[in-house]
Parts: sequence; C-alpha cells; structure tokens
Amino acid sequence: MSLGIRDILNKPRLLPGTSACPGCPENIALKSISMALGENAVFIVVAGCSSIIQGMGPKSTYNYPVLNIAFAAGPAAAAGMAKAFKMRNKDIKPVVWAGDGGTADIGFASLSGAAERNDNILYICVDNEAYMNTGGHRSGSTPFGARTASTPGGKKENKKDLPLIMMAHHIPYVATASVGYLHDLMEKVKKARSIEGFTYIQVLTPDPYGWMFDPSKTAEVGKLAVQTCYWPLIEYENGKLTISQESMHCLDKRTRKPIEEFLKIQGRYKGVSQEVVKGLEEYIEKMWERIKSIYEGKVIL
Amino acid sequence: MISKVISGNEAVALGVKLSRVKVIAIYPITPQTYIIEELAAMRDKGELDAEVIRVESEHSAMAAVYGAASAGVRVYTATASQGLLYMHEMIWWVAGSRIPIVMTVGTRAVGAPWNIWNEHTDFMSERDSGWLMAFASTPQEALDLTIQAFKISEDERVFLPMMVGMDGFILSHTKTRVYIPSQEEVDSFLPSRKQPYVLDPEDPVDIGNMFQPIDYMKLRHSMHLAILNSKEVIREIGKEYEKKVVPVGSYSSLNESYKLDDAEYAIVSMGAWSLDAMQVVDELRNMGVKIGLYRIRYIRPWDEEDIKRKLGDKDGILVFDRSVSFGRGGHLYLELKATLPDVNIKGIVTGLGGVAIGKDVISSLTRKFIEGKTSDEWFYPSEVEKVELRNPRYIK
Repeated sequence: MSLGIRDILNKPRLLPGTSACPGCPENIALKSISMALGENAVFIVVAGCSSIIQGMGPKSTYNYPVLNIAFAAGPAAAAGMAKAFKMRNKDIKPVVWAGDGGTADIGFASLSGAAERNDNILYICVDNEAYMNTGGHRSGSTPFGARTASTPGGKKENKKDLPLIMMAHHIPYVATASVGYLHDLMEKVKKARSIEGFTYIQVLTPDPYGWMFDPSKTAEVGKLAVQTCYWPLIEYENGKLTISQESMHCLDKRTRKPIEEFLKIQGRYKGVSQEVVKGLEEYIEKMWERIKSIYEGKVIL
Repeated sequence: MISKVISGNEAVALGVKLSRVKVIAIYPITPQTYIIEELAAMRDKGELDAEVIRVESEHSAMAAVYGAASAGVRVYTATASQGLLYMHEMIWWVAGSRIPIVMTVGTRAVGAPWNIWNEHTDFMSERDSGWLMAFASTPQEALDLTIQAFKISEDERVFLPMMVGMDGFILSHTKTRVYIPSQEEVDSFLPSRKQPYVLDPEDPVDIGNMFQPIDYMKLRHSMHLAILNSKEVIREIGKEYEKKVVPVGSYSSLNESYKLDDAEYAIVSMGAWSLDAMQVVDELRNMGVKIGLYRIRYIRPWDEEDIKRKLGDKDGILVFDRSVSFGRGGHLYLELKATLPDVNIKGIVTGLGGVAIGKDVISSLTRKFIEGKTSDEWFYPSEVEKVELRNPRYIK
C-alpha cells in the first residue's frame, strides 16, 4: 500500500505547540494517525493525556473537530455520531481516541457494546500501560511486574489481552501497532478507515515518565517492545490473522531478542527479580502460542 | 388533529415521532420502556425516519445521543430511576457543552430497596445539572411538552438540554383521551434543528476540552443566564404551540394556577396528583374555604416572579412533595420557602415509592393544615409503623 507520505505531511493535523510532555508517544501517534486519516476525520477523545495535549480551550492544537468526553462514554458517543453522519449523508467514520484505562477498565462495557453492534467507528487505544495522566497508576493493561504509583511492589497480574478480546467480538478489523513503527501504524489506520463497521487498533505508546526512560528514546523503546516480542504486531481481518513483517521473527522463540533488553531500558522494571523476568517470558511465550494457533488456523475465533 | 385514548408512554412516542427526531438511543428501564418499544416498532414499520441505537447502558444512551447531537441531528432518549442516576455523569456533560437534547423521565423510586413505583426523587436529583426540567400532569401534557421541549432547547437564547418528567405508571401506563396533532401542524411549529456547535471537518471545533478556571466560570454563568432567559422563551413558545398545534392546553405560563386569585390558602404540587388536588380545591370551596392550587410545571427554570405574584399574599400554603432531601424536606417545599421566606408554608413529603395518595388524603391533610392542627412533615398510611434495623453486631 502506498502511503503518499509526502502529500499528507503538507497538511498537519496536529499543530505545533501542544501541551504534551517531551518525548510523548501519544503526540507521535496522534500526528501520524490524523495524517493517515486525511480530511474527513472527527475525533472523540475520552479523558486522558490527549484531553490535555490539545491545550486550553477555546483554542486547540488539534486541527480537526474533537469531541472531548467523559471516561466511559467514547464508543457510545462515536456510535451516535456515526448514525448522525449517516443521516446527514456524510462519509465520516468517527475515531475514538482512548487510553488503556479508558479501554480495558472503565470504558470496556461501552467498547464491547459498540463492537457487538458493529457500529461504523474506528477505535484507537493508545496503550501506555497505566493511568499516566492521573499519575501513573496501574490499569488492566499494565504488564506483570511493572511498578506503578499504585503497585509500588510491582503488578501481580498479567496484562489484559485486549486485542484478542476484541477479535472475539467478531468485528471486521483488529490490529496492533507501535509508535516504534509509524509506517506500519499508518498503513493499518488507512486500512481500518476504508473498512465499514467497527475497527480496533491498539497502539503501544511507551511513556517516558511512567516507564521512566529518557524522553529521547520513545521510538527506541517502541521498537524494542516489538523486537523482544513483548508487543506483537498483528492484524485480524474477516476472521483471518496475519502477523506484520516486523513481528514475523517472533513465531520462533530462538529469533526473539531477550526480554531483558526491553526491561533494562525502563525504570519501572529496575532491579526486579529473576522471577518477574521469568513471569514475563512465560507471558510472552503463551501469548505467541495463542497468536500462532490462530495464525495457523488451529484455533478459530 | 385527531384524538385517541392512549397512555402517557404512547403519547410521548408520538410526540417524538412528530418532532422528526433523527437518532434515538434506547435502553430498557421500567416504566418508560414502552416509549422506546413504540419508537423501535415505528422504525421497523418504516413510519419513523430515524436511526435507533440499542445501547448497552443508560450511560451510553446519553453518550450516544450526545455524540449524534454534536454531529448536528435532533436526538431523543428516555429513562427512569436507576437509569437516570446511571447517566448522571453524561447529563452534566451534555448541559456543560450547551448541546440541545430532549429526554423523557418516567419517574420512579430509586433503590435500595428495589421499588418500581412512582416518586419524583430521581427527577429532582438532576435539578442542578443545567437541564431545563418540565413535569407533565397528563398524557396530553407529556406529548405537548415533548414537542415544545425540542423548540425550547434549540432556541438560541437557551441552548440547553431539556427533560420532561411524567409520573411512572400513573401517567406512563394510564390511558386517557389525547389530542394528537398532525405532522403538518407540528412542522409549522417546529423548524429544523439549530445548535451552537456542530462537529464537521470543514469547520473544526473542539467541544469539552480543558478550560481555564475563569472561562469555566464564565460558561457556568452563561448556563445560569440561559436558564433565566428560558422563562420568556417557554412562554413565547407555549403560546405559539397553543395557536399552531394543540389548542386544548394552556401553555402561556410556566406553571398553572387554579382558583388562586381570591384564595386565602393554596396547595402547591407537581405532576399527576395535582388533578386530585384540583378536586380537593373544588370540594373545599363548596365548604366555603377560599383555597386554590398552584401547579409547578417547571422546576428549572423556577418562575420566582410568578410564584411571588400568585402566592405572596396567601395566609397559608401547603406543599405536597413526592420527593425528599433527607434531613431537610421535600424539594418543592424547600424551593417555595426560599422564594417566599415570610409566608406561612408547610411541606408534606408523601407518596414515596408508589404509596397511593388520593383525593381523600390530600383533602384531609389540607383541612388539618387550614385548621392549624399540627401534623407531621411526612405522611404515609400507618399500617407499617417503622422499618426496624437489626440489632447491630460487632465485627471482628
């Protein structure tokens, strides 16, 4: 698929001077996604960093219409909006922009409802693996062993497998992406935009402050997550799962980069025990077994 | 215009259809369920040109109509009781965004304990949210107020959402004769939608993003002024409705007065039992008591001037409340007392959770009040003396 990057770069959707922190992965993702979406985009932003990144109203750094909304209400508002645009004969697929807390926890009923109805929206979960806007507390999407403001001794449970849960809703399109691979992200967004019905993309957005790494290393951490196979890049379309090029090596355990390389770059895993490392390795192994079995058609969702 | 014997729920559904609503979010909760069933059936039969979204909760119902309204179409939803409280967060969000929306509340008690019957506490709990709040006393009024609500809410002097309350079961399920306007009549009254903010890529606006405290307060003040402005708008639109749509009602004022001019005493009430109170007025008038009724139709806006004018000179006012602010009293009583601090006003909380209050009860309580006999501030039939809590246990 040709992205025509040169063209879309000329029309910035995210204006300079956002209120984002240095090295903010959401800023990167928002910029890329809104450019990939082009002109006919309307965003629904649920409570989170992106409610702040746009700056103080009535001015805004987002160069597209935005409906800011309460934490749990994004998918339902988008569903209503999609119907309204349909009644007005407008070709607009509303985009919900939500963090992992809004997606995995408080907004999950609304997300599941909209997916079940197959409402014509694109749901983007920016997964920074904690409630970063509130001060870095654990969410259902925080991984095992990670230290957060509310799990100072490390989280005891594994990350909620949202992409798989969304696949089980039998929606037309589910994908994962990382801010370490923007071409892949933009291609997936373009594809999701072109598909009628409920489409879901979960983007890993490593957060320099919550994950405690140098703000210049956002893209690098995003890449390492994929290279160590901690974060799979996959697509699920019409019941068929494909593994994106950047993640193909994960199918074989021997070609995966050791998880330590992903862990040692971040402060939230600083000085953790071998048990935590083992637990994460086990999680990765099991996750890839699941992905593989769907990929090979042994498990049909 | 035709007339038919229908329930309050059916009347509201017809009002919504005639208002040419484009997106409807539906979620079932007793006793408003029949409204949304009717609308879903109309949609199914092709009589209603609207998209119906079957949402997964009331929180989502309000979010869905909010999203659709922001994208520029006329929307509707209905709820009650627990459902209204569940959408509480979104009710505030809609008002703060100054987005016109209309909703029906089939009033019902709020648990615990479970109780499906009528009271007004659910409705009253939203009175500080920034919505306009009208309350019907008959199925006819429920239909009329629903149609008017769209026009009031979409008036540029208002631009606030509006909810119309209706006594659960007592009005929602009781059939009476209702005059149903024709589509042409409603069309001549209700123009196409007008709203301050529309989400469209050609004109990118942001709704609801972070505000500086001073801007936030300015916006809050604008909502306060809009509620005050809405009084004139409601009277204007009410008169126009009488002229163009249904000439059987009287909508030239916010609230209704009955035999108040020469009255020494007054009953104040809201909702369906006001009609019983009117009969009590007639009965007491026959006995030589100079009494009248003031029926509250609008909680927000609160028609302070009219209340002062009509009730300021009375010797005694008895307020009947079907809702309560615990430890204080009924909501209408508290509002009345704040409006007329020097008048002899007494409030009675009664009829909660569906306790049947008929003409006879209203009559005997009113007579007692006029005779100056002290009575409790709460009234309920005395077969249940009290609800006893168990002996407390210490927990190790």
